[in-house]
Amino acid sequence: MTNKSNNSFNTWQKSFEKETKKNYRDAKSETDEGIDIKPVYTKDDLENFSFVENNSLPGQWPYTRGPKASMYTNRPWTIRQYAGFSTAEESNEFYKKNLESGQKGLSVAFDLPTHRGYDSDDDLVMGDVGKAGVAIDTVEDMKILFNNIPLDQMSVSMTMNGAVLPVLASFIVAGEEQGVDRSLLSGTIQNDILKEFMVRNTYIYPPEPSMKIVADIIEFTSKEMPKFNSISISGYHMQEAGADNVLELAYTLADGMEYVRAAMSKGLDVDDFAPRLSFFFAIGTDFFMEIAKLRAARTLWAKIMKDFGAKNERSLILRTHCQTSGVSLTEKDPYNNIIRTSYEALSAILGGTQSLHTNSFDEAIALPTDESARIARNTQLILQNETGVTKTIDPLAGSYFVESLTEELSKKAWDIIEEIEELGGMTKAVKAGIPKLKIEESATKKQAKVDSGSRVVVGVNKYKNPKEPSVDVRVIDNNRVRDDQIKKIQTIKESRDKLAVEKALANLTNAAKDETNLLAPCIEAVKLRATVGEVSKALEHVYGRHFAKSLSVSGVYGKHFEGDKDFMKVEKKVIDFENANGRRPRVLVVKIGQDGHDRGAKIVATSFADMGFDVDMGPLFQSPKDVAKDAIENDVHAIGVSTLAAGHKTLVPELMKALSNIDPKSKIIVFVGGIIPEQDYEFLYKNNVSAIFGPGSNIIECAEKVIDLISDNLSKE
Amino acid sequence: MELIENIQKGERAAIAKAITLVESSKDSDQQISRQLISELIKKPGKSIRIGFSGPPGVGKSTFIESFGSYLVTQNYKLGILAVDPSSQITGGSILGDKTRMVEISKNPNTFIRSTPSRGALGGISMGTREASIILDAAGYDFIFIETVGVGQSEIVASNLVDIFTLIVGPGSGDELQGIKKGITEYADIFIVNKNDGELKIEASKTAADYKSALSYYKKLDELEKQVLLVSAIEQTGMEDVIKTINQIVNQNKQKGIFEERRADQLEFWIEEEVKNIIASDITKRLTSKGNISKYSEKVMKNEMSMYEAVETITKDTLKQ
Repeated sequence: MTNKSNNSFNTWQKSFEKETKKNYRDAKSETDEGIDIKPVYTKDDLENFSFVENNSLPGQWPYTRGPKASMYTNRPWTIRQYAGFSTAEESNEFYKKNLESGQKGLSVAFDLPTHRGYDSDDDLVMGDVGKAGVAIDTVEDMKILFNNIPLDQMSVSMTMNGAVLPVLASFIVAGEEQGVDRSLLSGTIQNDILKEFMVRNTYIYPPEPSMKIVADIIEFTSKEMPKFNSISISGYHMQEAGADNVLELAYTLADGMEYVRAAMSKGLDVDDFAPRLSFFFAIGTDFFMEIAKLRAARTLWAKIMKDFGAKNERSLILRTHCQTSGVSLTEKDPYNNIIRTSYEALSAILGGTQSLHTNSFDEAIALPTDESARIARNTQLILQNETGVTKTIDPLAGSYFVESLTEELSKKAWDIIEEIEELGGMTKAVKAGIPKLKIEESATKKQAKVDSGSRVVVGVNKYKNPKEPSVDVRVIDNNRVRDDQIKKIQTIKESRDKLAVEKALANLTNAAKDETNLLAPCIEAVKLRATVGEVSKALEHVYGRHFAKSLSVSGVYGKHFEGDKDFMKVEKKVIDFENANGRRPRVLVVKIGQDGHDRGAKIVATSFADMGFDVDMGPLFQSPKDVAKDAIENDVHAIGVSTLAAGHKTLVPELMKALSNIDPKSKIIVFVGGIIPEQDYEFLYKNNVSAIFGPGSNIIECAEKVIDLISDNLSKE
Repeated sequence: MELIENIQKGERAAIAKAITLVESSKDSDQQISRQLISELIKKPGKSIRIGFSGPPGVGKSTFIESFGSYLVTQNYKLGILAVDPSSQITGGSILGDKTRMVEISKNPNTFIRSTPSRGALGGISMGTREASIILDAAGYDFIFIETVGVGQSEIVASNLVDIFTLIVGPGSGDELQGIKKGITEYADIFIVNKNDGELKIEASKTAADYKSALSYYKKLDELEKQVLLVSAIEQTGMEDVIKTINQIVNQNKQKGIFEERRADQLEFWIEEEVKNIIASDITKRLTSKGNISKYSEKVMKNEMSMYEAVETITKDTLKQ
């Protein structure tokens, strides 16, 4: 620092302290990532960087400023809205409407049974068919999905990780039967299984064979589908599950490294496949942090790939899709979500994303309607056409603050990446459950900040709307969808060459035993109209199905409430309850059906336990019958059902039935939490649900309500 | 009691409610619980109670899931009592056993109950013994009692079961040093888990280590301790486990050891109940008289020695 600038800084500091009546050193604020944000940044902060290079340019090493030299000045980012629901016919109609209104690429959401490799007629998936995504059972469904959408011109992104093989095979066959050679197909398959084991839980097989399948797909596409991205390495779901930005960044890149190694172990040269690796990040409401995250991601990936020996420049470049944060949306005062999404979208653009999905404001309540999807899309069209943000590349470069933040995020993420490497890579870390636990800890901390009011969420814990607006939502009649799908499966099974299908499936099982590439025999089976469920089972014979062990954090939530009045009030109620009843209030917290998003369930379990409850945790993917058995054997007072995938209208009544089947006099009360449209409240209450807690509910208030309900219920006896 | 009939019919809800009663700290519940257990104990069923213990990370739950699945496919009825630690600070607990027993928890031939430890010593909660009596009356063939960790819990758990099993991992030869003689007196079977993949050689070596060490400690009139190799994830070696269990049970029954153990356990139980009653009585008296604070003050002021205080308080408390 020169004397002159030193003097002027000292003067500024004095004025600052006078205005704020605070010591400058105490004026920092700590982010979720543990980064201290200063009230002001100066030129001095740009010194001694080890990751960010101050004078780099877009499209040049280390690519902090963007993967391309021209960025949006040549072509703006791709507006790619993720969508899919009910049947292939209905999703196809929706896609075509969106393409006419200015959307450029497609992004397919599949339903949970498809993700988990079950056909729609499987009893296990009763409540999940066509919810939260489109049901695909055979290639016929895939053909309908892209009816009148030429696959040689449309880039298609598919969020698929568990049943990647039959789904990608169906896509290839659907293309071929449209007359499009597989070499002309463009788009992305998510194919990122490691994060499934960490957060999203839509896996099928154990980690090792799952990694082999990932590598098979990278190998096959690198040889036969040059325009297709073989993987989309995703941090999105980590942030959704509660990870802070450092965890999201570090674990995503560490996942990427593991996939590079898996592909190289197949004998591929790194430059054969690396240019087709793509990424996917979440963009939350921490405006500058999100911008810095995308810039840091590119910087670190270039370094990582150089270390892998990549020579082709395109191997060094991180290209990414982004989606605005779903978990930042609130059920309360839902129009606020349009505003949140707009700022998040701007973050993603200033960070230099290649494509973007903006969430619809009603997604904390239900699946988007045509109208809410239109607003979401227009958010991007306005940014592209009205604001001028496409005219200058990386406009925040050189900002003392943003550059420092980029450097600091890089540093923190790099430390975690090194830790993972020391453990022997991400597959090992995931098997040991370490990332999952860290993410859950971070999620619980964030929830505690909101519940204790130390983080403001407008319309939720402050500035509440006295007159909540009512919102129209999309309703899926999933029994109808399921019936339609079952009929289609039956027709196909009757008309196909049964023996040939059996043989093709046996070939697939053998290929799994021989450890040869599985995609080619999958394509054969799918061509003959084998179903997604049959193909998945053929592999399950060799690999088995994976069941995750569940670890839980404890004490993290309670720590934020030391001395908190409401928290202590619940604690006291728990003790009083124990004194009166001879045991603590006991609650079983479950997910039912194929929905694996367990962040909410985990947070409820750990925070209730921190308030003194006895909390039973059920395994994932339970049927209502399993839950009832578990609840009755443990004689719990209440069951808390967490639902995010719209299956509650089928699954909750089934649970009630199962409870009274085992014990006609059952006194167990049921409460439901998660994404539930207000229109369904009455239905659930009629089915004897005692309480419903939407997203953004304060957990302490939930706990108090639950204990009161239990006490009332017991006093009726 | 209607409850007894329903338990004997095997009604799930009745069994569950009965276990709640025996675990309850409420006086009125305890009275019913005593009546209930006194009745049930008159007509013992055919259950074999097996204790499972082992250090964390050896795959205890995975083994129980795997072995349990094997038993239910052989049409046995299986009850599992698992104890989860409660938090020292909040008193709450997360009972997550079922997340590790996915397959057997669905099976209609199982009954799985988790119980918070409530700070009880040795990872065995109040009521575990009584719960096993209830499951016995309900017609379960095997009752598994799973305990947390290694240490005190073995001694308590071994007083509740007919066969006690220690699960260990490959390469745990060093732990043998720590386990030493005490544990061999309690454990009937040693199971070396993770006999699969890269760990196979290590597992065989560990089993051999255990065998030689155990033969060293063997008493003359005692049955040979069994060491078995299994893989919970590949479900191999399960036949050997059940065969060995049946063998030991039959031998013990022939030699009268089986009955002898149950008699010892009854003695231990009676002693424990008596001690509990005395202890809670004494605690009540101590609190009502307030002697402890009174005399510790005197000790602090150097008016008497610590041991004088102890003696005085003891005498005063025991005086009717």
